[in-house]
Amino acid sequence: MIRSPASPLRWRSRNEGGLARPPATVLAALTLITLLALLIAAMSGSIGLSPKVLLGDWPSPLAWQVWWQLRLPRLVLAALVGAMLAGSGAAMQGLFRNPLADPTLLGLASGAGLAVALWVVLLEGAAGTLGLYGQFLAGFLGALGVCVLVFALGERQRDQEALFTLLLAGLAINTLAGALGGVLAFIASDEQLRQLSLWGMGSLSHALWSAALGALIGIPPALWWLLRSAPGLDLLQLGELTAHGAGLDAPRLKRRVVLATALGVGLCVALAGIIGFLGLLVPHCLRLWLGPGHRLLLPASMLSGALLLIVADTLARTLASPAEIPVGLITSLLGGPYFLWLLLKRRMPC
Amino acid sequence: MLTLYNVGVTAPPAFVPISDRLPPGELLAIVGPNGAGKSTLLTLLSGYRRPDRGSVCLDGMPLHGWNARQLARRRALVAQKLTLGFDWPVRDLVALGSTASPDDVEAVLSMLDLQPLAARGVQHLSGGESQRVMVARALCQLGLGRSMSMPSGGVLLLDEPTSALDIGQQQRLMRLLRGLAEMHGMTVCCVLHDLNLAARYAHRVWLLERGERIAAGTPEAVLTPGCLARVFGAELDASASRTDQAPLVLLAP
Repeated sequence: MIRSPASPLRWRSRNEGGLARPPATVLAALTLITLLALLIAAMSGSIGLSPKVLLGDWPSPLAWQVWWQLRLPRLVLAALVGAMLAGSGAAMQGLFRNPLADPTLLGLASGAGLAVALWVVLLEGAAGTLGLYGQFLAGFLGALGVCVLVFALGERQRDQEALFTLLLAGLAINTLAGALGGVLAFIASDEQLRQLSLWGMGSLSHALWSAALGALIGIPPALWWLLRSAPGLDLLQLGELTAHGAGLDAPRLKRRVVLATALGVGLCVALAGIIGFLGLLVPHCLRLWLGPGHRLLLPASMLSGALLLIVADTLARTLASPAEIPVGLITSLLGGPYFLWLLLKRRMPC
Repeated sequence: MLTLYNVGVTAPPAFVPISDRLPPGELLAIVGPNGAGKSTLLTLLSGYRRPDRGSVCLDGMPLHGWNARQLARRRALVAQKLTLGFDWPVRDLVALGSTASPDDVEAVLSMLDLQPLAARGVQHLSGGESQRVMVARALCQLGLGRSMSMPSGGVLLLDEPTSALDIGQQQRLMRLLRGLAEMHGMTVCCVLHDLNLAARYAHRVWLLERGERIAAGTPEAVLTPGCLARVFGAELDASASRTDQAPLVLLAP
C-alpha cells in the first residue's frame, strides 16, 4: 500500500540500498587488463620481443625502429579508435534510448567513409598539402551530416517506430554510400582504388605517428565530451519532458553528443577505415553486466573498446603473419553473429 | 507559489490566456475532455514549453529565468507514460535526477510501497507499478525523503498519474498527494480523467475545453451535472447520491 506522509517510515540501512556500485573497482580492473593487453600486444608481432627490451635492452636497432615507428603508433591508434567507437556506441544508444544505435548500423561510419573517399578521389590532388588532415575533416563532416540526418529522423517518431525508422535510415545510408563509393571506385585511378579498398576493410596497418598524433589530438576531447554527458544521458532516459523537469537542458546535451560522436567517428573512419560492430557489441555486453547507468557504462565501454581492438588488431597482425587480416573483418566476424543473435532473441537485452 | 500571468499559446494546439495562482498547500485538478489542452497546460506550468503570451512565475521569477538545477529542486513533473529504452532497476531509476542518499530513496520507496520491487527492472513492472515509480522519482527529486518532517514548498505536476492504478492504489495515491499539499505545503497540480477522484481529493478544479479554461473553483462549483454533460457530451445520472459535499459523477445507463 502507499503510505501517507504521516505514516511511520520503514528505513533501510545504507548497506541494504542498491545504489552503491563499485565503479572504481570495475574501472580499475578494466584499466589494468587493458594495460596488460597493451603490454602483450607491444611484445607480439613479426619481430617478437621480450618484456626486458622495454627497459632498454634492444636486440638490434631494427627492432627498436620497428617497435617505435610501427608498433607503438599502431597500438596508440588501436586503443583510441577502439575507445572512441565503443564509447560513441554507448552514447548513441543512450541518446536514441535505443539499444540498436551504433555508428556503423546507423550509417555514420559509411557517411564518413563516403566523404573520405570523395576527398581521396576528387579533392586530394586539388587541395594539395592538406593530406591526412583533409581526410580528418572529410570524415568529420561526413559523420556529422549523417548524424544530423539520422537524429532528425529519429526525433520525428517515438519508441518502437523510431527503432525501425533509424535502422531503415541506416540501411538506406549504408546502401547509398556503397553505391556512391562504387561510382567513385569506377572513376578512381589504380593507386586511389588500391588505397580505398585497403582502407575500406578497416585496418590499422598504415598507422604511423602522423595518424596516431591526429588521433591523440582529436579523440581524447571527444571522449571527454561524451564522459561529461553521462549524467545527462541518464536523465534523458526518463523522456525529454521529465528530464527537463529534472533540470536537463536536452537540446544542449544532444548537440554535445552529436558533435563529439561525429568528430570521433569521423576521425576513426579517416584513420582506420570502417571497423564495424564495436559500438554495438561492447556497450551491449557491458550493460548486461553493469546496468544501464552511463556514469559507469561510458568509461567502461571506452576501456573495453580499447581492449577489444588492441586484442583484435594483435590477432589481425599475428594470425596469418607475415600477411595481415584487416581488423575490421575480425570485429565484423564477431559483431555480425552477435547482432543476428540479438534479432533472433527478439527482445533486446536491457 | 506558482503564478500564471495571462499565460497563453497561439500556435496550435492553442491555449486561451489565463491568469491564476497556485498557492502552497493546494491540490489542483485539471480536468476536461480529450484534446482540451490539459497536457499542453502542464507543459506550460512545468516550463518545458514557453508560452507565446504572458509568463509562469515561481516565487515571483519567470520559470525560464531560473537556473535549471535549482528549479528542478523546487518543481518536478510526472509524465503520462514511462517509456524506457533500457531496463533500469527501480531503485536506481527513483534516484535519477536527485541528490538523494540511499536512505532518502528507501524512504520514498517505502512511502509508495515500492520496496519489494526495488531491485526489479522497470520494464518488468505493470503500468500501475511504473506510475508509482515515476511518482516516487519526482518526490525524491523534490528532496522529500529528507524533509519528511518539514514543509518542502515544492511544486509537483502530474499528468494522469492514476490512469493505470486500481481503485485501492488510486485512493492511496490521491491521499498521499493531498497529504503532501496539506502537511508539507506543496503545490500539487494533477491532470485527471477520473472526475470522482477530482471531486473527492482536489481543493480546486480547472475545467478545460478546446484550449480554454471554462470553469475554475471548488469541485462542488465546477463539477455540476449540467456543465459536465455539456463539456463531455455524456449523459449523467442526475439522481446519483452524495454522502458529503463532494459531487458524485455517474454515467446514466
